[in-house]
Amino acid sequence: MPAEAKPVHNPIRIDPEVCVKCNLCDWICPGDLIYKEEDNRETLPVVEYPDECWYCGLCQSICPVDAITIIFPKQMIQCKTDVTTLLGKVVE
Amino acid sequence: MPPAPWKTIDTDVFVIGGGVAGCMAAIPALEAGLDVVVAEKGKVLDHCGSVGCGVDHYLTIMESGPEWDTPEFLLKHVPELTDGIVDMAVTSRVIHEMPRVLRKIESFGVNFKDPRYNDYYRLRSFGLPGTYHINFDGTDFKKHIGQRVRKLKGTVLTRTMAVQLLVEDNRVYGALAFNFRTGEWVVIRARAIVMAAGEVNRLSLNASGVAFDSWHTPYNTGDAQAMAYRAGALLANMEFVETTLTPKGFSAQGLNALVSEGAYFVNKSGERFMFKYDEKGENARRAVIADAVINEYLLGNGPVYADCRHLPPDVLDHMEATLQVDRYTMPAFYEQKHLDFKTEPVEVSISELSIRRSGVYFRGSGLAVDTDGQTSISGLFAAGDCATVSGGIAGASVLGHVAGEGVAAFLKDRSGALPEVDMEDANAIRERAMAHLETEREQTLSWKAFEDQTRRTVSDYVGVRRNDKGLRLALDTLRALAAREPELRADDLHGLMRVHESKSIRMNAELMAECSLTRTETRTRSSHRRLDYPDTKDPEWRRFVTVTRGDEGPRVGTVTCENALAAAFDRLNPGGVANAG
Repeated sequence: MPAEAKPVHNPIRIDPEVCVKCNLCDWICPGDLIYKEEDNRETLPVVEYPDECWYCGLCQSICPVDAITIIFPKQMIQCKTDVTTLLGKVVE
Repeated sequence: MPPAPWKTIDTDVFVIGGGVAGCMAAIPALEAGLDVVVAEKGKVLDHCGSVGCGVDHYLTIMESGPEWDTPEFLLKHVPELTDGIVDMAVTSRVIHEMPRVLRKIESFGVNFKDPRYNDYYRLRSFGLPGTYHINFDGTDFKKHIGQRVRKLKGTVLTRTMAVQLLVEDNRVYGALAFNFRTGEWVVIRARAIVMAAGEVNRLSLNASGVAFDSWHTPYNTGDAQAMAYRAGALLANMEFVETTLTPKGFSAQGLNALVSEGAYFVNKSGERFMFKYDEKGENARRAVIADAVINEYLLGNGPVYADCRHLPPDVLDHMEATLQVDRYTMPAFYEQKHLDFKTEPVEVSISELSIRRSGVYFRGSGLAVDTDGQTSISGLFAAGDCATVSGGIAGASVLGHVAGEGVAAFLKDRSGALPEVDMEDANAIRERAMAHLETEREQTLSWKAFEDQTRRTVSDYVGVRRNDKGLRLALDTLRALAAREPELRADDLHGLMRVHESKSIRMNAELMAECSLTRTETRTRSSHRRLDYPDTKDPEWRRFVTVTRGDEGPRVGTVTCENALAAAFDRLNPGGVANAG
């Protein structure tokens, strides 16, 4: 299965009941991940590229109504990676 | 169908990257009355760049009285801080400018004082010979700097990625860029250009396996280095890698606060091991701390933990209260992990690798600059983490400001028309770029798969343990990837930006492997560890490794560190000395 076909964790949870559809999260995201139709107070922001999130939390910090929560995926919260696998292979 | 129209802009100064270095370069140029255009991949200048969400430390000389707080004292220690691989001429300029630039940033409204004392709270860390770091609440640091640029009427092209420099006879005169929301392409003619697009991230694997989980912003992908290299600029120190310690699973900033406030690092036996590696213990240079942790893991002494339990309650409270300043989501991470760093040790890992400044201050990796911030290409300047003198956010501020003043001086007595842009060439470049969006191709490759291969190759063979065979293997793989670049597929304009980033990352990885192969010694521990050349060779290797684009790939040379890197600039020394000795 190609990498893109795996289910993608969405770290940016926007509560549709609370969101005031103001555009700020779209504007502030440094990774261009959140898309919100401008000048339309009816449509919600959409996290288009959730797997490209830096977990910086700027969207959460700027949200005027606290509609955004950042949820870390399991591989970050319960990281089981053996650190030595990051330390290179020695080719003899 | 005729090609789509271009948006055309003529300006005095074009700045690529709207982070701290880019903004700080724009400010003196604007103050000198120049027309300045900044291209930035983000949308809100006040929150763009590495510290768009905040910063809690600022390294500076303040000339507050004691001898250690003078430029001369710090400069005296720079060779040992950098293991002798440093451009002393540029570093001297940067260190001497520190107090002036600090005062200037304060005049923008940044408050460096700690409200608890109504004074500067200065801490020692990373092997520095004094308490040079101001610990402060810099949540709004970038906001004030961005506001200054806007107040001075700088023009900002947001969500815009520059992809090509225009250079004629080693003189830069413009660039091509595109907006990844609108798809509009822009041709910018400029009398000078400042490169300030940061370091190289997304370069290697990390503990979480989440590609964009990185210590510094994953949207900094070495675009400036790759672009300037292709245009003929001289780069240096590209062999060195940098890594830091992070809570395992989350590559975030925060090591400075930990070590300067007094945290210990312990291994699985509870041994506080840092003193085995450096007499300064946890106050050693970042490169030394990272190397010690790498070694403990290789010895089987992992996991390694950061332990704060011995610290006094008021220090712990301060650390907790400021946890979100460097990374807003850090409290949420601990909360979701159900971990209290005040009462439990925190398991740590080394982060992914970056090409930035190899865990030591003042030895940056990237575009070589002279004492005015000008690169080997006439009219092309560089500052911040893409330049060869780098020192955190203060380094970016000061060299940025130096480059901005350098641009103003450079343009003062220069007039005359800029060359006309060859639109046939520009259209061809745009067509090649837009071809990545073409879906009806026989073979396509996703940028994610392409990047994963780059990261795997760097981690395995160009990372913290290197040898000749591994580096050659890596170069073969990286060059095979380069040959597949035309196959890269973008699903949309956003993806087209990522495709360009992926190409920049691969290019930088190739330069790193090539330069690592040349430096046949080990320098600054795992910043450049050659298993086949384990010793540091002084004075033989007290040299910079430089790289420029040759006819058949990277052309590597060396320059003695007794010289400034500018000694290898053809524009200053016709004939050059880059490859001498």
